[in-house]
This record gives sequence, structure tokens and C-alpha cells, in this order.
Amino acid sequence: MNMKQSTSVTSKPVSAPMDRRQFLKRTALASSALALPTLIPSSALGLNGAVPPSERIVMAGLGVGNRGTHDLNWMLPEADVQFVAICDSKKSSRESVKRIIDNKYGNTDCKMYPDMREFLAMRPDIDGLLIATGDRWHALAATLAMRAGKDVYSEKPSCMTIAEGQLVVDTAKRYGRVYQTGTQRLSEANFVFCIEAAKQGLLGKVHTTYAHIAPWDAAEMIHEWLPAEPEPPKEEVDWDAWLGPCPWRPYNKSYVSGGWRGHYDFHTSCIGEWGAHTFAQAMAGIDSLNTAAVEYGYVKNPTGDGMVTVFPNGVKMVLSRGDKYWHGSCGMRFDGPEGWVSAADGYRTPEASSPALLAEFNKIVKDYQARTLRPMSHVRDFFDCVKSRRQPVANAEVMHRSMEVVHAANICMWLQRDMKFDPVKEEFIGDAEANRLRTRAQRAPYIG
Amino acid sequence: MTLMTSFKLNLAVAAALLFTAAVSIPVRAASEQEGKLIAVLKSDAGQKAKADACRELARIGTKDSVPVLAGMLADEKMNHMARYGLETIPDPSVDAALRDALATLKGRQLVGVIGSLGVRRDAQAVAPLAKFLSDADQLVADAAARAIGSIGTSESAKVLQAALPGASAANQLSVCEGLFRTAERLSASGKRPEAVAIYTQLVNAKAAHQVRAGAARGLIIAGGPDGIAALRQYLRSSDYVLFAAANRAAMELPAPAVTEALVAELGGLPADNQIVVIKTLGRRGDVAAIPVLLATAAKGAKPVRLAAIRAVPEIGQPIAAPAMVELLADSDREIAQAAQESLAALPGKEVDAIVVAMLGNSEAVRRIAALDLVARRRMTASMPALLKATTDSDAKVRAAALRRVGELGGPQDMPALLDLLLKAKTGQDVDAAEQALVAICAKGGDAEAAAGAVAARMAQASPEQKGALLRVLSSVGGTAALASVRAAVSDPDAEVRASAIRALGEWKTADAAPDLLALAKSTTNPTERALCLRSYLGLASNPDMPAGQRLAMCRDAAPLAQKPGEKKLLLSALSKIQTAQSVTLIAPYLDDADTKEEASAAVVAIAERMTKGRNAPGLAPKMAEILTKVAASTGNADLAKRATALATAKPAAK
Repeated sequence: MNMKQSTSVTSKPVSAPMDRRQFLKRTALASSALALPTLIPSSALGLNGAVPPSERIVMAGLGVGNRGTHDLNWMLPEADVQFVAICDSKKSSRESVKRIIDNKYGNTDCKMYPDMREFLAMRPDIDGLLIATGDRWHALAATLAMRAGKDVYSEKPSCMTIAEGQLVVDTAKRYGRVYQTGTQRLSEANFVFCIEAAKQGLLGKVHTTYAHIAPWDAAEMIHEWLPAEPEPPKEEVDWDAWLGPCPWRPYNKSYVSGGWRGHYDFHTSCIGEWGAHTFAQAMAGIDSLNTAAVEYGYVKNPTGDGMVTVFPNGVKMVLSRGDKYWHGSCGMRFDGPEGWVSAADGYRTPEASSPALLAEFNKIVKDYQARTLRPMSHVRDFFDCVKSRRQPVANAEVMHRSMEVVHAANICMWLQRDMKFDPVKEEFIGDAEANRLRTRAQRAPYIG
Repeated sequence: MTLMTSFKLNLAVAAALLFTAAVSIPVRAASEQEGKLIAVLKSDAGQKAKADACRELARIGTKDSVPVLAGMLADEKMNHMARYGLETIPDPSVDAALRDALATLKGRQLVGVIGSLGVRRDAQAVAPLAKFLSDADQLVADAAARAIGSIGTSESAKVLQAALPGASAANQLSVCEGLFRTAERLSASGKRPEAVAIYTQLVNAKAAHQVRAGAARGLIIAGGPDGIAALRQYLRSSDYVLFAAANRAAMELPAPAVTEALVAELGGLPADNQIVVIKTLGRRGDVAAIPVLLATAAKGAKPVRLAAIRAVPEIGQPIAAPAMVELLADSDREIAQAAQESLAALPGKEVDAIVVAMLGNSEAVRRIAALDLVARRRMTASMPALLKATTDSDAKVRAAALRRVGELGGPQDMPALLDLLLKAKTGQDVDAAEQALVAICAKGGDAEAAAGAVAARMAQASPEQKGALLRVLSSVGGTAALASVRAAVSDPDAEVRASAIRALGEWKTADAAPDLLALAKSTTNPTERALCLRSYLGLASNPDMPAGQRLAMCRDAAPLAQKPGEKKLLLSALSKIQTAQSVTLIAPYLDDADTKEEASAAVVAIAERMTKGRNAPGLAPKMAEILTKVAASTGNADLAKRATALATAKPAAK
């Protein structure tokens, strides 16, 4: 069987199409790793997991900090993946990630780039990016990367506004890119079981789902600036690039050390912090990943705890901050007339209203895998899709719709009134003020 | 009002506005608030106060705010926040102001304003923006192309299509982006021929792979009937970028004609491309693809066959089940395994019926496969067939059937299983029945009723079968079960008595402990005495029981532990109880040559754990004497060192 593809592949404009041999020759000069941006899974071709270098997925990291390092360490063991570069506006992060990657491969080949635009232009050989910047950059970085022909695994929350989410969806479709947001519980057996049990009617017709919001921070965001400090040299921290599309403010070390959370310009509140995960989980179980909640009930507390949202199919999703419905982080629960199921981090098995429900665990998870051919590994799902060009489980539309509910819930809290939302037009009904909060002007030149 | 007074007032207003939650306010109040925000912008307030005002105006600003915001566009520091305020104001004066600014701005300020015109989709801006497509500043030219695309009119198409051939390498991607945006807008507004013209230009352009992929997708989706022709063309393409794009587009389109196109092209493709198309057919879920998938699954290259078999459950139609059953007999184990997994995941009672029919297959291996499927599919309604299989002529089938009964069965199936156990002729069958009963009892339910059902069969059982029933009772637990096991301790058969004692030793709670202790004291049979004592000490080692209770059990057992092995079991149980009393009980064994080392290890283990606790201060000195003794007597150097360290440790300061 012919395993090699005759193709013309490059991320940059070229004067004439190249064949595979030319492409490999060029990328061999640019990098020690050889790669095709579009690949057929070697396992499907009977290679039994032996991945030749020319079929590796060539990856790079963008803004890889604490969470990103977790992702990186999750991805590095994949046999068909090779990381070759790191781009970060912060020097210490670049060097830290380079050490991890070089240690993995036993060489010093990982290249470092401070500027994303230059990096994207200079590395057409890279197939995919792990984007784990702060929230403010997720959507724009993903957009620019996909426009440059890269597939994207992006940490969450993956957009700051509804408009940014739409841009990510449009760009992924426009260029046929594979995009996965880091809602990894959609690929974990306990959560999959709960979602499938709800979808398949084991609970009867689900009437309510509960979604965990982060038990710290508030829905109301900080607008204050931290005290100005002298900017470090640009090669240490490029402050302008760090801010990216957000409004300018004076440098303070706290921001670049994780202290950006809670600030309106950089964060999506306690609702987005965990809602980015749990809303997608809850929406999956009520078959609503292609829409958004149509009603949002304002609650008179600082966090949104107890807010009731209603989806077009009539199912309620209740935001919950405490541990009433679970005992772990990022929990979710589905309630129907015939029972309930719930899961959160740290569970050995899901919890359910009856042992009979849990007896179905293996069948439901295995059926799900056989029916969808999804692995119980979020990063593996991404890499499989990079090769097959199929949409991952947490694709751009899933990200956008779940974040749309996050943003709408935040706007409901900020404006302190009940809201109605049209998920087709993607606008609030009869609330011009709320509609104006769906977007924020991006700072030049960081415009999508 | 002096300048300073004005400044302070503005700061106060800005601060007040800043700390005002963005709450809905009546129109009149909003107008007043807007006025105050405008005043901040017109004042000499600082950058922060003005930025806050701009952000608020983005929410409530009207045409009244436009002049002051537009006046800030040329301010390097405020350009962005001015746009931030302007972009969402629903008044045409914003567009005019932004267009006016094009003539005077440069660099980032210009890039920003161009971007805002795109966001606002100002149709009148296309012509002025077109002038920037060839700007020397690449960022400006890029921004113009994207903005013109966002506006997305026929005029946009004309301008950008004309620009593409001459676009510099650096700007080409942005022009393509603009053309994509335009095509999408035109297609959405019913101008599909114009959109198709754009996609055609892009797919033929000497452009990056993602541009050609996107254009191919666009042609297929926007092309209507011609889109299907394009789909077939790209499926046949030797250019993998176009082939992959065709598959991606096919996953988006539900139309039956797409399935027909994929099926029609499948046979003529190279094997590796067939795999991709098969996956696409599976992903689309169209039942019309089933015949070609089954035909492909039956013969050909193995990777292609596997892909077809695995695509079957994605479509999820019972009609595919008979073909999967046939593949279970395939000589290639991987093919058979894939078929089994597909069969397991196919929904429908028809499939259940096929699996039940397989239980009657003449080959034992097929019957075992059917039993796996019964369990995997959780066919609880098929319990009669499953129970029938427990009497199969093949021992492996019987064992497999009993295992599945245990997995799927409930309390209602216990009588049948007990019958089977009592009829079992081989040890293997007895074990399998016992395991099935244990599995059912482990699911919970009425323990007393279960114990009663099991106990009622004791009289009819052989010694071997009684042993199995006693183990089941041990797993059930509870008062009734304990009474039955207690009675069996007096059984005339030694094998049964031994099983009963072991069952008591396996008890989940301490309820069985008094029986074991009493028997250990009273029996004249040394084997049973040893068995009782070992089981009793096993219970005393259960960490789920309270430490005080375990200590009392050890104290009661100490006089009975005479042999070295028994003493060591006692010391093992004591070593897990972190109290001074357990150390006291251990102390005599330090003088016994047979147990000196075990006793030393137990003392050190207890001392180390106790000195880590919150009551640690002062504990070590109290135990110093015995630890010193351990250090002196043990032959284990490491243990001696640890004991010495503990004995000489100073109390922690309070």
C-alpha cells in the first residue's frame, strides 16, 4: 500500500506548488523534524503504532506556563508527536519550556521565539500549536495560528467575548483547521458516562443540569490598575505583546505572574474559570452543544451562584458554586424523573441515584467509544483529528457555544437583570446595552 | 472654577463612575451619566480615568459621545480606548468619523481605525479602504484587506479579487482572508455565484495549503449542485490537501447526494484514501452507506476492512449486525475482534435476538463470544437464555455463562444459581456458581433474605458445596448469615468446620470475633485452634475497626498465641495500633528470641507514627526506655539507629 501522499503543502504563499519531496527537503533544512501538515493515521494504515518521522505531528507551544506545562507533559509521551519550538513573550517561560522539551528528546533543538507573528511566519513546518497563554490571548492566538495553517489545542477559557468566539469558529471552518479547547473532562470516562446516561434517557427526560462555577473570585470584575512598576527589558517580558488585544495599562509584575485573574480586561470571572469546563459538560448531556441558553435569571449575590439558565429544549442549567451536588472540582449533575448522575474531579466512579445506573457504566462508555471512535484522552483525540481532519470532541463550535453561555451569564450579573437570548441571531432580545457587551475593540496591531 | 478644582471634580466623577456597577439605568439617567463621562474625557483627567470612561461609553454611549471620542483617535495613548468606546455606538456618525480619521492617521492608530470600520461593516468604507491595500506598511495593508472582507459586499469582492494577483507574498494571506470573509457574506445573502467565483479564484491561486483547503470547502458547500461535482473532483485529487478538504466538507453536509458521491468514488481510490472516506461515511451517519461499508468490511486490505467495520457502529443500524456476526468467524483475529466490538455497540432488540441465537451455535467459541456480547450489551432481558447456557455441555461455556449471570443477575436469580451450585458435579462448576452468587450479593439488597436463601440449601449440600455456600454467606454478612456460619462450626465434617472457621475469619465486621476466640479456647483440635486464632488475629488487623477494639482483641488473644508464628501474627496486629498500650503488650516479646526482631520493628513503627502526631511532644521520652532496649537488642542496624534517634529526640518546643 502506498503510504505517502503526493501533496503541495506550505503555510506561506509560494511561487509554485511543491511536491512532497521538495517540501520535505525544504523543511529538512528548516528543522531536523520532518512533517506534513495533513496526515493519514499510520495506525489506520497498519503500521501498528510505528510512526515514521515524516508522519509525526510537529507541534510548538505558545505561552506555556503552569497549566501549559501540564498539557505539554501530557502531550510529549505521544509517539507520533514532536515539539520543536516555544513562543512566549516572557523569557523565563521560553527557557523553562525549552528545557522540558530538550530533556524529553535529549537534544537542544527546541527553538525559542518571543514574537508570535514572526514565529508563525518563520515556521511553516509546524502542524499544530498548544496555546496556553492567559485567557486574553487564547482566541486571537488561535485565530492567527489557524489562519497560518496550524491546528490548535487551546487552553480555556478560550475567548474573552462572544465576538471572539465567533471569530474562532469562523476561522476554523474557513481554513479547515482542527481546533480543540481544553475541556478535557469531555474525554474522561466518568464524565462521559454521566453525559451519555443523560442523553440516552437513563434518567428519564432530564429537566435540570447543574454546573460548577469556581468557588473563588466573583462575577464582578476588577477595573483597577495595579501600581505602575518599571517595565523590564523587552527581551525579558514584552509587555505590549503580553497585553495583546487588551487595553493598555502600566506594567506590574503581578500580572505576568498569574495575577491577571479577576481583572475585567484579562479574565472571564468565576463563571468562566470553571464554567468553560462545566457548561460544556452540562450542555453535552442535554444535547445543547450547538446552541445557547435562552434565559438567564439574575441572582442577588456576588458570584452567580444559583443562577438558573434555560435552554431552548426547556432544560434548566443551574450554576452552583458550592459542593451541594458534588464533592470535587468542576462538577456536574443531571436530574431526571427517574434518577440523577453526577461526577467531579477525584471520583473513582460517578455517583448516581441507584446502583443500577452505575451498573451500566462500562457498557455506556464502551458504546460511546465504539460509536464515536473517540479515545478517553483529550489530547489523543486532538492528535487523531489532526490526522483524520475530523472535528475533535471539544471543537470550535463547542467552545464558542459553551463560552457564549459563560459570557451571557456574566453580562446578566454585570447588568443585574434577567436576560433573554436568541441563540440563532446570537443576540440578547430587547437589550441593546447587553448586546454592546458582546464585543470589545481589540488594540492594534493585535486585531483578529 | 479653577483648573485644579475642575481636575479634582473630574477625578471624583471618574471614581464614582468606576465604582458604579454596570446596572441598567433609565434613559434620562443614562443621558446624565453619558454627560459626566464625556466631561471626564474633555477634562485633563489621567489616562486611567479616561480609559474607564471610554469603556463605559462602549456600553451606553450615543452620538453625543462621538465627537469627543473621535477627537481622541489621533492620541497615541487613547486611540484604542476611543475605538473601544466608538465601535459599539449604534450611530452612523461613528462610521463617518472613522472614515475621516483614515486620512490623518498612520501606523497602529490607522490599523486600529481600519479594524473598527471592518467590525462596523461600513459599506461606504470599501473605496477608501481599498487605497490602503498596497500600503507600504504591511500591517496597514493587512488590516485593510481584512476590513474590506468583513464588510463583505459585491464591491468588496471586486476590490479584493483584483488585488489578489498582485498582492505581495507578505500580504497575500490577508487578501485571501478578506476574500473568504466576503464570500461568506455574499453566500449568506444569497449571492452564491459571486461567492463561488471567489472560491474558484482562491482554489486555483498559488497560495498556502490552508487557503486552497478552505476554498475547496467553500466551493463544495456554496456550490449547490456544482458543489457535488467539486466534491467528486477533489475526492479523486492526488493533491492530499484538496482530498482532505473534500472529506471535511462532506462531514458538514447532510445531503444524500454527498453520501452518493462518497460511495461512488470510494472504489476508485488508493487504499489509504479509502480509509479516510470510510471514516467520513461513518461520521456522517447516513444509513445509505451501510451496503458499501459491509462490502468493504468483507474483503480487501486489512486496514481498510478494519476502518469499515469500525464505521458501522457510528451509523448504528441493526441491519449491519448479521454481517458483523459472519466476520466473527474471520481467520484474522483483529478483524473478528473489531466485528465483535461493533456488534456490541450496535443498538436494537434485533441485535439482541441475533446474539441470543448465537448462544445456540454449534461451536463453543461462538457461544462464548455470544456470552461476552450478552454481558457487554447488558442484555438483562436475556437471563433465561443465559441461565440455560449455564448447563452447556462445554465447561468453558458453563463457566462463562455463570460469570455473566453474576454480572447481570439480581436477587431474583439466586434460587436458580443455588440450584446450579447444588447440581454442580465439578469443583470448577461449584466455584463458578459461588462467584456468581457472590457477585449478585455484592450488589446490595436484602442481606437477611439472601442469607436465608443460602442457608436453606445447606442441608442438601455436599461438604464441598457447603464450603462454597459458607463463603457466600461470609460475603453477605449480617445476623442471619452469621448464625448459619456459627452453626456450621459444629458440623460433623471437618472440611465443613474448617470452611466455617475461614468464613468467620473473612467476616467484614468484628461480629464474628467472639465466636473465633471462644472456639480457639475450647477446641481440642489443634488445627482448628490454629485456624481460629489466625482468623481472629486477621480480624484484629482490620484497619476499618476502631483501634480500641483491636487492642482489646489482641489482649484477649495474647495468652493463646504460643507458637512463634502465632506470636508474630499478634505482633503484626499490634504494630498497626498506635497507642502506648500496644507497646506495653509488645514489650514482653522483646525478651523472646523467636519474636525479638518482629517486636522491635513493631515498637519502632508505632513510635515513629506516634511522634508525628499532634500529641507527639513528650511521647518519645516516655517511650525512651523501651526504645533504648530495642536499640540494644535488635540485630538490625537500621532499626537500632531509628530506635536510638527516637529515644534521644528532644521534646518539640511548644
